[in-house]
Amino acid sequence: MKKTVFFVLSVIMFCGMLGIAIAEQLPTICAIHPYTGRFAFAGIEGAAAMQDVVDMTNEAGGINGKKIQYYWADGEYKDDVGIAAFKRLYAQYKPQIMFGQSTGMTKALGPEIKSRYKTLYSAYTFAQEAANPKENPYLFLPGPRYVDQFGVLLKYIAKEKPGANVAFFYSDTEFGREPIAAGKEMCKKLGLHFVAEEISKVGGVDLTTQVLDMKAKKAEYCIFHGFVSNPVTAVVKLSKDYGLNIKFMGTFWTTEQQLLNELGPLAAEYRGVSAYSFFYQSEFPEIKKIQEWTKKKYPKIQYRSQSYMQVYMSTTLFVESFKRADKMKGGFNKPENLVKAFQSIKNYDVGGLMPPVTIVNNSVPVGRIYRGNAKTRQFDPISDWIVIED
Amino acid sequence: MRSGDFKEDYIKDEAIFQSVFVKFWLGLFFVFLVLFPFAANIHMLYIANLIGFAVIGAVGLNLLTGFTGQISLGHAAFLGVGAYASAILITRCGFSFWLSVPLAGLVSALAGFLIGLPSLRVKGLYLCIATLASQFIFGFIFVHWESMTNGITGIHIPPPSIGDFKFDTERKFYWITLVSVILAVGYARNLVRSKMGRAFMAIRDRDLAAEIMGINLFRYKLSSFAISSFYAGVAGALWVSFLKVVTPEHFPFLLSIEYLAMIIVGGLGSVLGSIFGAIFMTLVPETLSVLSDIVKEMAPGWENLIIPFKEVVFGFLIVGFLVFEPHGLVEIWNRIKKFFILWPFSY
Repeated sequence: MKKTVFFVLSVIMFCGMLGIAIAEQLPTICAIHPYTGRFAFAGIEGAAAMQDVVDMTNEAGGINGKKIQYYWADGEYKDDVGIAAFKRLYAQYKPQIMFGQSTGMTKALGPEIKSRYKTLYSAYTFAQEAANPKENPYLFLPGPRYVDQFGVLLKYIAKEKPGANVAFFYSDTEFGREPIAAGKEMCKKLGLHFVAEEISKVGGVDLTTQVLDMKAKKAEYCIFHGFVSNPVTAVVKLSKDYGLNIKFMGTFWTTEQQLLNELGPLAAEYRGVSAYSFFYQSEFPEIKKIQEWTKKKYPKIQYRSQSYMQVYMSTTLFVESFKRADKMKGGFNKPENLVKAFQSIKNYDVGGLMPPVTIVNNSVPVGRIYRGNAKTRQFDPISDWIVIED
Repeated sequence: MRSGDFKEDYIKDEAIFQSVFVKFWLGLFFVFLVLFPFAANIHMLYIANLIGFAVIGAVGLNLLTGFTGQISLGHAAFLGVGAYASAILITRCGFSFWLSVPLAGLVSALAGFLIGLPSLRVKGLYLCIATLASQFIFGFIFVHWESMTNGITGIHIPPPSIGDFKFDTERKFYWITLVSVILAVGYARNLVRSKMGRAFMAIRDRDLAAEIMGINLFRYKLSSFAISSFYAGVAGALWVSFLKVVTPEHFPFLLSIEYLAMIIVGGLGSVLGSIFGAIFMTLVPETLSVLSDIVKEMAPGWENLIIPFKEVVFGFLIVGFLVFEPHGLVEIWNRIKKFFILWPFSY
């Protein structure tokens, strides 16, 4: 009899403890930021952005009263280091949401995230592999795929100058090559003439051959992709020296303040696509909020980059998914709930950081064209938000 | 008490296990390796698997560079050849993982054989450049032979399996890695004490003298390239099945340099040195990352300084080892062993 009572009590205690353990699993986000290495410019900003959104949310009461836990590690922008950090953080904290550092890491971990980890996941990428809910519902992009960004730019060109000659200038990397084939197809559909394809290393210096090739092929528009600032600056300056009359454009990572600073008086020659508003666009309430927060928490910081905005947006969507999933049966600890919650986001107001967000195929296919301003060295919007439909 | 290390015949001198003590400690280490996955978490197992692949690759490179004296800057390319060969054999030809790994090694060996051909005419820095070319040639093939390699998208691979049992976790894959490492290290250890191994070393020490002694340079140099590449191919094939995806960016030039660093830090011309080097180059950066994360939590706001500092520490560690022990970690290990063998009369 005594044994039976002891057994029953033990079972009850065990179940109780298990229940407490499950009940106390707090909303947890883990991130691998490329804090060092060649993508550190984005990683340092991203780490701060995620911390800021988590702190803002926790100050406002967390996820229905539960404080978000946030842990991160440096992935050095190397796939093996990033994956090791992912596994370390996962083993330690069992997060419901993870944020990765690159396209390569996303590709490598994608199948395991689907089959084993089942965490909602985004990363410093706009690769199309991370926006395919049929293949992997856990991965998402907080903005438009690189292909969509090309679509935004090409649509703009087609409207500004129908039948224009277009050249693509991209880096010889996985990231650089990704949207090229689809971009060529889009040119055909939009009635544009794809005339040149120039390839360079990231940070390439001697670009005379490519510039002269564009001149020979009479390119009128050149779209950069797969670079940060170099060799964009060099190409723009060299083109002016050779008397080319080309309009330069670029995708997300190039459309950054640093480029305008390097271009100097030629800043107005560049136009780029971004999914987010800029730090100085204080007419938007969310941007105003970021400015005030930055002033309060980091008085020495004068500017927050687009990388900051990307991670800020991702974390905002993470928080919203947590909130929505918390109201479902099983809460945010049930992976399917988080996916459902995320995919249910529709016309979600983010205070002008982006237009109202609607998740389409686990991405937000919207972008806006900005033009560099040589006087203010800032980007001015020259289009409204352009939505890409498949 | 042992007070020396005396051998009375060549068989004893060539023995793999030089004494009962070696057998005992190796046995104990083997027990540790077997028990390890039951105690380790997924992160530790992930690192253990990476160390295993690095050991196989480093042993291969040491056979070529440390034992035969042929410097190669294209080791990452051979890893890539093995990885892609295995991925293509599994996904397109329907081969099982178990068959694809040795075949990937053979494909890589063939590539190594071809890239090794210039070694018959050039040496030293010139050979470096010739092997460096393989990095670019194969890198180009991985990206542009899209019908086979899927270009930049890469190839996704299913996990290895036996019947319904899938080796789809770090813990399960650990057993494949462990067996592969034992086979690879065991073969290399035997090879270097064979006729072929002695020929490799003779070529390394002075190839002209070796040729005069009757060693066929053509045969042995190319054999060394092929065997080294076979090892790299197997390491690549295992790595790719572990990661379950292969893309061209997994095999940058820097990886070749890392492998060279492994064998230099570990000890050139030593199988054990390759193991030490692989462990050092994989484990130390990871340990520094963990430490920097801990320090970062303790000193919020100092991330900007603390995190990049780990790279500086790692750099200093490598330089420190090279300055204070140019023969690599294996020499430190030998000194420690000698201290205990001769203790208390180690003078």
